[in-house]
Amino acid sequence: MKRFALLCIALFFSLSLAAAADGNGELRFCLRSEPKTFNPLMVNDDASETIRYLTGGVLVRVNRLTQKPQPELATDWKISLAGRRIRFKLREGIRYSDGTPFTSADVVYTMQQLMDPALHSATGDAFRSGEGSVVAQAISPTAVEITFPAPVSNLVNLFDTVAIMSAQSPQKEMAALGPFYVAEHKAGAYILLKRNPNYWKKDSAGNPLPYLAAVRLDIEQNRDIEALRYSRGEIHLINDVSPATFEKLSHENPVMVRDAGASTDTEQLWFNQSPSAPIPEYKRTWFQSTQFRRAVSEAINREDLARVVFHGHAVPSTGIVPVTNKFWFNSDLKPHPYDTASALRRLQQDGFHLDQGTLRDRGGNAVEFSIITNAGNRSRESMAAMIQEDLKKIGIKVNVVTLDFSSLLERITQSYKYEACMLGTVNGDLDPNSQMTAWLSTGEDHIWNPKQKTPATAWEAEIDKLMHAQASAVDQRKRKAAWDQVQKIAWEQEPFLYLVNKDSLVAISPLVKNAEPSAFRPQTYWNVEELSLAH
Amino acid sequence: MKGIRIAAAAVLVMAFLVTVFAQFLAPAGYEHQFRDQPEARPSLQHPLGTDQLGRDSLARLLYGMRVSLLLAPLAAALSTLLAGLVGGLAGCFGGWTERVCTLLIDLFLAVPWLFLLITVRAALPLDISPAQSVVITFLLLGMLGWAASARVICAGARNLMRSEFVWSARAMGFSGFRLIRLHLLPNLRGALAAQFWISIPVFIIAEANLGALGLGVAEPLPSLGSLLKEIQEFVTLRSESWRLLPLFVLIAVVSAFQALLNREKVRA
Amino acid sequence: MLRKLGFAALRLLCVMLLASFAGAVLLRIAPGFSSDEQELTPGLSAQSVQAIRDAKMADSNIPRFYARYLRSLFHGDLGVSQSLNQPVSALLRERVPVTARNLGFALLAGWILALGLALTSQLVRTRWFAFVADGLSSSFISTPAAVLALIFVLLRWPAMLAAALLIFPKVYSYARNLLHESSRMPHVFAAQSRGAGRLRTLICHVAPIALPQLVALLGVSISLGLGVLLPIEVICDTPGVGQLAWQAAQSRDLALLVNLTLIVSFVTVCATMLSDAFRSEPAGSAA
Repeated sequence: MKRFALLCIALFFSLSLAAAADGNGELRFCLRSEPKTFNPLMVNDDASETIRYLTGGVLVRVNRLTQKPQPELATDWKISLAGRRIRFKLREGIRYSDGTPFTSADVVYTMQQLMDPALHSATGDAFRSGEGSVVAQAISPTAVEITFPAPVSNLVNLFDTVAIMSAQSPQKEMAALGPFYVAEHKAGAYILLKRNPNYWKKDSAGNPLPYLAAVRLDIEQNRDIEALRYSRGEIHLINDVSPATFEKLSHENPVMVRDAGASTDTEQLWFNQSPSAPIPEYKRTWFQSTQFRRAVSEAINREDLARVVFHGHAVPSTGIVPVTNKFWFNSDLKPHPYDTASALRRLQQDGFHLDQGTLRDRGGNAVEFSIITNAGNRSRESMAAMIQEDLKKIGIKVNVVTLDFSSLLERITQSYKYEACMLGTVNGDLDPNSQMTAWLSTGEDHIWNPKQKTPATAWEAEIDKLMHAQASAVDQRKRKAAWDQVQKIAWEQEPFLYLVNKDSLVAISPLVKNAEPSAFRPQTYWNVEELSLAH
Repeated sequence: MKGIRIAAAAVLVMAFLVTVFAQFLAPAGYEHQFRDQPEARPSLQHPLGTDQLGRDSLARLLYGMRVSLLLAPLAAALSTLLAGLVGGLAGCFGGWTERVCTLLIDLFLAVPWLFLLITVRAALPLDISPAQSVVITFLLLGMLGWAASARVICAGARNLMRSEFVWSARAMGFSGFRLIRLHLLPNLRGALAAQFWISIPVFIIAEANLGALGLGVAEPLPSLGSLLKEIQEFVTLRSESWRLLPLFVLIAVVSAFQALLNREKVRA
Repeated sequence: MLRKLGFAALRLLCVMLLASFAGAVLLRIAPGFSSDEQELTPGLSAQSVQAIRDAKMADSNIPRFYARYLRSLFHGDLGVSQSLNQPVSALLRERVPVTARNLGFALLAGWILALGLALTSQLVRTRWFAFVADGLSSSFISTPAAVLALIFVLLRWPAMLAAALLIFPKVYSYARNLLHESSRMPHVFAAQSRGAGRLRTLICHVAPIALPQLVALLGVSISLGLGVLLPIEVICDTPGVGQLAWQAAQSRDLALLVNLTLIVSFVTVCATMLSDAFRSEPAGSAA
């Protein structure tokens, strides 16, 4: 009997240990598309970015709540040469998921791959501060130094997106330093990530992290089905919930969804000011007029957009930088008011007049233009319909045209065969340097009039100067001052009519423990190694 | 059966009348946004409630019916005509005519026409009116949607050409167009009628899906297809049964067409 | 016989080549061919954007691309999907069986329902049965595939049943008319006047006349079935050919589209040739 009891106790403990070793369940959520690549240096899409975040080990991680960098694979770092050099001290005794040791040689190898001119990725381009090569040098097995040809703004935070690849592992990019590694991939169906047995992090009690045994990512494009699966408990998270779904789930059970506050994403409308655009000259004159743009802006009821389209889960936008970006936001700026009388006054000053309810310009042309936006985005289609109705009140006729994304992209980046466009921007990086290509007049993303040889207007020339100034400055106060001025000019000139800043709406199952949703991507699982599932 | 046909005719006449007199039945109009009442439940002011932007749902249904129930049957007639023409020619004449027509039908079924539609949208000016856009869309649907039925009609025509009464007719001197008009068409009527009434809802739904390419109706003009697309949200999000009315309207109209075109005499 | 087989093979080859070439041309001339969503990634340099565009335009000369494609096809190489970064052969190997299974299931269920109703309508010749059957048919043909698929997902039923319900109205309608027309043949009246019951008349005299056209309908219904199934696969994210086709269309993925068009045209032509092979004896002869 005694022997039997001892056997039971031993069995019980071994099972418990086995359970602990197996970990705390499988977290499930959906990817909206198939990842295009598992190479962390080539990430240019959301799904691949998710895989990188969950499997990649980085030197530095930006805490999504505090927005401050914290040590990861690097325990310490030092910037010198006026922002041109950074030296990292690395953790010791770390291994990849396949057992290959991690050393400074891996960092050197990663930087060499990243800065290869043949590699075209946003991650690598962010480090290209000037002409000349980037030199990465292993000082010792636990110290590495990287020197850039010119100062790189926001240098430390940029390493949040650089997953360190192994120089020696036969598994190449599939050898992971992050909390999970890719165990299974069924194309079009799912990707299964399993806990990295060699992950270096431990919790405060010394228990190995992550708590989760696995993460299963189902490929699910349809947001309605994703919401359905969440409400049935088939998945645990939704990173980005539509306002309508949020309302419905909130009525069913308020703890199922959370509003993490205003996100950094923006929705904006702009007019085509490109001189080579195949649009009538009189329309180009309208679009190039600041008064016209300001008038249209004042005629748009942003409060209604936030209330009706986003069910109150959005705020009228002030400008480039949303208010949640605490450090960089210019707090002197306020959202443009909704004032149709003021809008009409501006238009009159610009030579427009109302003729039996129709607005006409000096030449007698009726003011009419089309807004293109991408089909399938219900919020954007609704906003376009509301703007159409708003502008009707000041005699402007708007045609709303929804296009498939490839056709729309071709129009706004190559053929310029459009008049106005409404799209959104996903701002993963809070630093103004990430918007260089949008605000420099020579930039690809200077979308209202891209790739200018010389600035077309005085205010664009001024913005060019300010952007270069903030990029080359090391002192954050000087950078802030320059960026504040850029925001002010953008507010006055309105090349982009910023509409609303959406809230970050997420769905996190009550079964998920330690979740602290953030307004910044990835909103729900930024601290994935600390998440666990209740039984 | 006569009673059913009368009821079907009544449904179609009623559908026609409500769309013609839409502005009297729903004076709110299909585009005005009552922004203080988005997604409202049915009330005296809005008998079918409002949509996400506060637009009167009854008005949008009536105007949507006007667009779809006028244009979809025309597109269906066009596709039926083309199917009858190609399928009929192939079946009647056989030989190389049939081989060429069959090849054409197979090609039409296999080629991804989606890109032609995208190209057509690109060629159209952006400021084309919503009404013009939807007319062009239905025209394209009519011109591209005939191939599947042509095959069946071809088989039917081929079979008829071998039937005894056609042999008799040919022996009596009937040939060419007279033969087709007097002996083949009446016997192909059933298949042609089936093609016609089936195409109506298919084109209405297809028009809504073409909205993803920039074709079809544009804001604020509604169509029955675009209202049907909104039902997707209902299925997963809301439990408001009145939002299914566009679907019931379409079913009623399609059933009415089917009942009118079905000449079968049912005997007990 | 050999001559017929030769013609059939030639027809199959012609359609496959012409359809896939036409698809490639249409995709090339459609706007958005040279665009890639990745261009909008914030922070991409002008050189990177240009490199992405150059990669997209590498196959912009369609005749050259097609010739190269045909050459590699003979070696079993179907090319690489630009949007998914995987060999097309691997993608198809995974997904064609899924779609084939779904199609088979949807067609079987759709035909059983359609034929069952059509045959029953010949036996139970009451206006109420006709009304109910026609009403069912109208209801399903009027319901968008997306809505039906979502309802089935909501009810946790197989989404392919939705495809079956969308195939059945067309098959039912044609089948019902075919059976009705066949039942009006003189020999059928003759059989009935000699005392043949409804069931016997249907099986022995009506069905054989309608059979050739029903078989022809089978060929068409395979194409119909594919047309219905592909959007349902997209909506329900089933990892089949439909999802691939949508991916190819959205991303203007030339290699993927050409291969998918080849498959669709192969299935379409084979299905119709199969039905042509079952052509009946001249109408009017008693069974």
